[in-house]
Amino acid sequence: MPSKDKVLEEVTRTENIDIDAVLDPAEPDGVFRDSRECAALALQSGGTNLLLSPPTPRPKKG
Amino acid sequence: MEQSSTSALLQGTVLDLASDVVSALRSGDHVRAGSTLTGGGAGEGVARAAVRVLGADTLLPSVLLRVPPEPAQLAVFKDAVAAHPPRDDAAPTVVWSHWAMTRALRRTERALGGPLADEPGTEPDARWLDDASWQFLTHQLAVLAPLALPGEECAVTRVARARPVDVARGFVRAVRRRDWQQAAGAGRWLTLLDGVPDTLGLEAGLDFVRLMGGSDPRVALQLEAARLMPAGVLL
Repeated sequence: MPSKDKVLEEVTRTENIDIDAVLDPAEPDGVFRDSRECAALALQSGGTNLLLSPPTPRPKKG
Repeated sequence: MEQSSTSALLQGTVLDLASDVVSALRSGDHVRAGSTLTGGGAGEGVARAAVRVLGADTLLPSVLLRVPPEPAQLAVFKDAVAAHPPRDDAAPTVVWSHWAMTRALRRTERALGGPLADEPGTEPDARWLDDASWQFLTHQLAVLAPLALPGEECAVTRVARARPVDVARGFVRAVRRRDWQQAAGAGRWLTLLDGVPDTLGLEAGLDFVRLMGGSDPRVALQLEAARLMPAGVLL
């Protein structure tokens, strides 16, 4: 039989959970792979040319 | 402070639960699939919330491998469906994930030959994906990866089937962004779609996602699902 405090703590915890935010997540900021990982993929993928090109250069800000 | 500790607890429980499902998918052991829920580690409310977050995939071993769930696990799943219905103004992914859970529940109960849960409500629409860019489409499909099942027929699967090349592009983008969860989810969808370009190298791509992100149980779960999909277990 859980204690009253424990039940209260559990209820408080559950009420604080914002499930909708977890179920509708925003896309996280991307981090592009570096060339060493591209090389690792090249070795792994053999003859295919999946994902081998480095990221497109982007103009520097400012 | 309370919010952040609760979030951490929920996140930890979701990871534990996902690990259980991965173990069950790899071994076919239904006890493992529910050990987080039946072990008494997390409080009931947190366990229910974690099941709601992991969604229909909590029952994936039952659906894909036809392994009956532990009764206690099934009870928590039912509670999660009942305790966390979508609000009227909920986002489409929230509505769809709940719908997927009710569908999984009914499917599991039918397989067990027990009394059936209520029919899932009217199927939600997928209009929010009508003009979705390929990037947004892939993100949303990855969030709704529990709907990617052999033989599943709903509005979201129809959208995915109509845009295999866009999902393939989204998979590549997710890999290059190191978004392993999105990549694994998109990869799971791609194993089910016709018309995926051979030049994608899906198998090698999924191996790479496993290598880079497979230590996250949520990623591993999608990869295990993708691995089992070609077996074409009929629903």
